[in-house]
Formats: sequence, structure tokens, C-alpha cells
Amino acid sequence: MSFTLRAVKVPPNSVNLEEARSRVFEIFKTACRSIPSIMEIYNLDDIVSKSQLRSIIASEIRKNANVTNPKVIDMLLFKGTEELNNILEHAKQRHHVIGQYVLGPQGLVQDLDPKDQGLSSFLKNFYKSNYF
Amino acid sequence: MGLGLLASRAMRPLKYSNSRVFIRSIVSKPELQSPEASSAAAATALEPDLPPRSPVGGARVHFPNPEDAIEVFVDGYPLKIPKGFTVLQACEVAGVDIPRFCYHSRLSIAGNCRMCLVEVEKSPKPVASCAMPALPGMKIKTDTPLAKKAREGVMEFLLMNHPLDCPICDQGGECDLQDQSMAFGSDRGRFTEMKRSVVDKNLGPLVKTVMTRSSVPHNFWLNRCVRFATEVAGVQDLGMLGRGSGEEIGTYVEKLMTSELSGNVIDICPVGALTSKPFAFKARNWELKGTETIDVTDAVGSNIRIDSRGPEVMRILPRLNEDINEEWISDKTRFCYDGLKRQRLNDPMIRGVDGRFKAVNWRDALAVVAEVMLQAKPEEIVGIAGRLSDAESMMALKDFLNRMGSNNVWCEGTGAQPNADLRSGYIMNTSISGLEKADCFLLVGTQPRVEAAMVNARIRKTVRANNAKVGYIGPATDLNYDHQHLGTGPKTLLEIAEGRHPFFSAISNAKNPVIIVGAGLFERKDKDAIFSTVEAIAKKGNVIRPDWNGLNVLLLNAAQAAALDLGLVPESSNSIESAKFVYLMGADDVDLEKLPNDAFVVYQGHHGDHGVYRANVILPASAFSEKEGTYENTEGCTQQTLPAVPTVGDARDDWKIIRALSEVAGMRLPYDTIGGIRSRIRTVAPNLLHVDEREPATLGPSLKPEIKSEMDLTPFGSAVENFYMTDSITRASKTMAQCSAMLLKK
Repeated sequence: MSFTLRAVKVPPNSVNLEEARSRVFEIFKTACRSIPSIMEIYNLDDIVSKSQLRSIIASEIRKNANVTNPKVIDMLLFKGTEELNNILEHAKQRHHVIGQYVLGPQGLVQDLDPKDQGLSSFLKNFYKSNYF
Repeated sequence: MGLGLLASRAMRPLKYSNSRVFIRSIVSKPELQSPEASSAAAATALEPDLPPRSPVGGARVHFPNPEDAIEVFVDGYPLKIPKGFTVLQACEVAGVDIPRFCYHSRLSIAGNCRMCLVEVEKSPKPVASCAMPALPGMKIKTDTPLAKKAREGVMEFLLMNHPLDCPICDQGGECDLQDQSMAFGSDRGRFTEMKRSVVDKNLGPLVKTVMTRSSVPHNFWLNRCVRFATEVAGVQDLGMLGRGSGEEIGTYVEKLMTSELSGNVIDICPVGALTSKPFAFKARNWELKGTETIDVTDAVGSNIRIDSRGPEVMRILPRLNEDINEEWISDKTRFCYDGLKRQRLNDPMIRGVDGRFKAVNWRDALAVVAEVMLQAKPEEIVGIAGRLSDAESMMALKDFLNRMGSNNVWCEGTGAQPNADLRSGYIMNTSISGLEKADCFLLVGTQPRVEAAMVNARIRKTVRANNAKVGYIGPATDLNYDHQHLGTGPKTLLEIAEGRHPFFSAISNAKNPVIIVGAGLFERKDKDAIFSTVEAIAKKGNVIRPDWNGLNVLLLNAAQAAALDLGLVPESSNSIESAKFVYLMGADDVDLEKLPNDAFVVYQGHHGDHGVYRANVILPASAFSEKEGTYENTEGCTQQTLPAVPTVGDARDDWKIIRALSEVAGMRLPYDTIGGIRSRIRTVAPNLLHVDEREPATLGPSLKPEIKSEMDLTPFGSAVENFYMTDSITRASKTMAQCSAMLLKK
């Protein structure tokens, strides 16, 4: 883990929300700039396009859109930088990147059956397991 | 017996003797430091200042006659006990647990292991407390050096010939001998000769014997198993053979132990001589998780503990319930658990055009069932609950089918036109423990030994204790107590009802007569006539009085009482013939011969048993060991099972399947939780929510209208052909198959 520690420098805390916000844009830009090398490292050309990866990064950031505490944003920024460094240092393997980002947590399972829309939560749970 | 308790008691005399020998050191007790307490102690100086103790195992004293109370002193405590108590019982009431091997509270007193020796003042020798009646003013001392030394001597003798095989003994960890040798055993043996060894006996497929462990060194010491077999189980198979060091416990000739209660000798054996054969070398008792639940293989609802390791049921043990099973269970209850691992249904399946089942997911299976169901006409829909169904799922099934417009819901084994109106007409009104008060039994078309082994044990106890007369009407059978075989069919019943039979005078002269009618008669066409004849006998023989209701029905299945309470009664008796859609909820013993070939059958259950052969769709459900469900036993006592192990595969709880199906079919049931379904049950049968309580029937049979129909004179049949295999779990069990092959062999 020493290389990670070396690579990730902990920046000083953001003073206010504005500063944190600008840092989020910074990390988004850095991540976008590293997309070509990520695609090269993990051989992703035949799986995703650059624009898709960009929107995946954006959606990862937007997951935390409701956070307003600058301290929490700083922490999330740190974790994001660390993750980006891991990816760039080839600390992950191809299937990690594909599984985590390209396919998402649902994976290949497509559970979003349009028939399921009107079901009660009981029935949705029933289809999943006996214990709920 | 707690190890710590014994160990601490073993330590106590040492402390006392120390204080006598050495100069007493200055100690300060907290109660001496506070002035109020010390003055209070001075005021009641006559009372011994010993810490209060509570009776062992919640032992209670019942004084049948207050004048008979006598006072004894246990370790200085004054104590009031009824006359006839033994010294050991007095000590238990005083909160002193006396170590014992041969003594068992439910068996006769043998007094031969001498482990329970205590010192009694003015007695020259220590006395065996289990055999000594307590006398007024007796001063009993349980933890004197003399008593301890005596017990240590006994322990040394017991261990003399006992093999040192605790590491490979199944009793290890729950062994009385192990526990007590921790307290009273010596750390080295003085016995240098060869240990005695005895050839093991074959007692059948259930009980494994390691006779060398049986502690019979000098005179027959612990023969709990022999006493159990002759007294409770009522078989004369086990006995003592030989004399001196050649003495052995065994079957007299090379013979198997043929009792339906034989498994209980495993529990009462205080050493590891008798252990469970199916459980041998499978698990250690400390790695098992115990779940206190109830048994569903018959209508008694015996209290059991399911011991499981991970997802597997390892063994079943009885739990104490004085009102139902005391501390025994039948062999079917104890050894049926391997059936829970075989023949299980684990995926929803649909039968294809080629007649083979194909595993599908729940979504597809429920969609198919709902589609077919909605196409059938309401009167062509039939639902049948199985003999192991719990009250919750039966309630859901009835609600669901009623919403679909059908009222053809019933529980198998209750017959075509069951009487569900008067509760007294289908439960055991005397209660199982109440049978002990009876002095005359009339068994009509029931063989309690195979239908409900625990009820039979209770009858046998009564016959032994009160010399109660037993008259039996039905096919020839082997009841293990003295009885008169009065006849085989309704003819004898009519003779008794008309007072022509000599047994009628026995009923009318008895103080508390009991009539037990078997639920096998529910299946007969003339059941109303039979029941009215039995009621006529009851009326003439004064069987039903305000203080005593001796007219009982002995049910066969765990689900029956709850099904009748919930009103699972078919609308028409021949609904099977015209059915197009049949929902079998664990029903395996329904006669589907008359079912039209184009009918669609859904089988929801946990075992691939008879019901599956005709099924078009299988919905896997959880067994009684995997779900929380309410069951009512034959005496009307409501009890609940608790999940001990997780469900198998993709199975779901019964009521959840019906609730999900109702939503897929567009008739959504209004409950999502087990609590919701129970509040629905409250509106139908509130007694099913009073868990662990027996709810007696409020109205007697006198309200029933007179029935004038002829009795069919064909003799009564036997309701249970094979005691060991009565339902889908026991039919899947290998142990039960071995039992029926070996023990029922005529």
C-alpha cells in the first residue's frame, strides 16, 4: 500500500462548500483526462466508449449529490482520488473495473422486469427469499 | 445437573472442616457491618443464618391433606413436606440437588446405586436418600464430610469397571457420570486388574448399546432402562441376566426391543451404555443448537427440542411438559428427523408435456397456477390441507379459496362431513393429564398405542396406578396393558348402549369413566350414528357430568384440531369428482382416484410424496422444523413450532406461498406478516392464539340434534397401519423404514 500512500496526498480541508464544489469538478476533470489510459490499461475499447465512461464517472459523483457537509465531501473526494489512483496503478484487474463500473452492482442480471412494477413489496421480497 | 453446583458443593465441606481445625480468622461479613442487619440477626437468633435456597428445578410441594405435613430439617433449614416424601424429595424441595444415578422421579425406586447417600442425625450409617422415607423431625445433612466420603467411595466403585472411552462416547458432554466424577471422582484409580467387558446387544435400529459402559459391577446398580421398559413402555424385553460380575442387562433371548417408546431409554441412561444409533458419532452435544419446538408427527403435540448443527437437524429430544408428554416422546417423534433431509422439494416445478418435471422460478410457477385457477369455475376449485399443516397456512388457504368463490376447503383425515360446530365433538375433553384420574376406559375404534403413543403411555400409567379397567372395541391389537377385547365393531357398541353388555356396568359403576373414540371413524359413512350411540352410552353411564367430561375423541394428525377450529369443512362431499383445479397443501393421503383426468393439481409441500405423483405444479414449502407455525393438539392445547434450521433450496413458508399466489391471481389477501394472519385467526378461532394453553370446549354434546340413522355393522378398521410411517416426513425417513421392516415383522 505504500505506493498509494505516496500517490495520495491529503489536501487541506475545504473551508466552505464552494471550495469543496470546485474540488469535485477538479477530480471529475482529472478522472476524465485519465479515461484514455484506463481504457488502454484494462483493454476496454470493445466494451465501452469514452463518453459512456465519462457518464459513469459523473453518475458515481452524482450518487452523493445530496451531501452538503464540506467535511464529508472532503472525505468522499479522498476516497475517489484513492480509487482513481488504484485504477491507474493497475491495482485492479479488468473484471474489477468492468464489474464495478461498466456493469454496475446489478451485474448481468436484469431484474427490472416491467411486469414487476405494480407488485407489492411482499411479493418482491417473496421472489427474492423466504426470509423477510 | 449443573457441574458448577456439584463442584461448589464438593468444595463446601472442605471449607467447614478447615474452619474447625485452624484458629478461626477474623472475618467481616457485609451484614455484620450494617447495624440494622446485625440487630435483626440477633432478634431472630434461633433462625439459622443460611442463604435462602430455591427448590431444585422449580420443584413444588402439593399437600393433598394439610394434616399430613411433617417437618424435617435439611442442612439446618426447617421444612414442611407431606407425609410419604423421601429424604431425596425433601432435599429437592429445600433446594439441595442430591447426586443420583439409579433414582428417577418417574420410575420406581431401586435404591441400589448408593450415590444419593446423606447423613441423618442419630443414624449410625449414611442413608440412601432416594429410598428412605422422611420422618418427622429428621435432621438431614447433605454436605458433611461423611456424606462426601461415602459418595466418593461409590464413585470409585462405579468407575472401577467403567471404560475410559469418554472421547469416543456419544454421551460425552451430557453424561451424569462424567459430571459427577468431576465432583466426587478421585484423580487416580486404585483398580489394577482388568476391567470387565461385556458383549454388546443388538436392540434394533434405534438404540445402540455399549454394554461395557453399563455400570453393573457388583449388584445391579443402575437399571433405569429395565425399570423404564417394564413400567412406562410396558414391554418385558429388557432384564437383568447373570449374577455377580457376570451380571448383564439385555434382552432375554436374542430379540429386538419392540416398544414405541424405546428411544427414551437413551435419555434416562445416566451413563453412555444406551445411545442413539442414528445419532452415533454424528455430532457432539456442545456444537448443537437447541430449538424448543413441538412435534407434528401425531396429534399429541409432544414438546421437543430440535438439536441442529448449521442447516442440518442432528437429533430430536423430549422437553418436559407434564400436561402432554411428561418427559417421554415416541420413537417416531425422536427418530423421524432423517426424513427431513431426504426426498425434499427444493424448487418450484412444472410438469411438461412429456410428463417430466422441470424446475422453474417462483414467478413463472405462480403465474401458471394463477392463470389455470382463474380459468376454472369457482365451484370446480378444491383445496385440501395436509396432516402437517399449521393453522396460519390453513387460514390463508381458506381465505384465498373463499375469495376465489369456492368453499371446498378441508383438511385430510376429517372425513366428508366433519362435525366442526361443537368443539367437544372433536377434542379430548378430559385432557391428556386428566386421563390419570380415570378408573374405567372404553376405547372405541382406536388403538392409542399406534395412533398416539403418549396418550397410550398415560393410559398405561393410569392402569398401573389405579387398576383402571380398559375395554376395547376394534380389530385385534396389542395394547401393552390389561384390557378386555369386547368386540370388533358397532354390534358391541350397540350392546353396551342398550345395557346388555357386562362392560356397561363397569362404565356406570366407575367414578370417572372415560370413553375414547378414534378419529379413524371420521372416515366411515355411518359416523354420525356411531357418535350418537357413543353419546347414548355416555349419557346412560354418567360419563359427562358438570365436573367431569369423559367423552373424548383421539385425533390422528397434528393439523386436524386447528382445521376444525378454523372451519375447514367441505361444502359438498363429492367435490373431488367434479374438480378442475385441486390445491393440495401438503395433502398426501387424499384419494385422487376419482379426480377427472383433465383436472389441474397443484402440490405445495416439503416432500416428494404421494401427492406429487398426480401434481402438475409443485410449489416447495418449508417443513415444521423450518417455520413458525401454530398447531393445536388433540386435547385442544395450542402450541407453536419455531424454526430450527433454514429452509431447503428455494422453498418458502406455506402461508407466504398462498399470500403470493393470491396477489398473482389478483385476489390479494390482506395480510403481509405472520402477525397479520394471526389477527385474522383471532376473528375465527381466538383459542389458536392462546399459546401453550389448553382451551376446553365450552358446550357439551347435549346440544346436538338427535340423529336417527342406521349403523353399518362392518367392524372398525385400524386407522394407522404402520406406526412408523404416517406422513410425508416419516415415509421419507430411512430409520423409520428400518423400524417398520424389523420391528413390525410378524
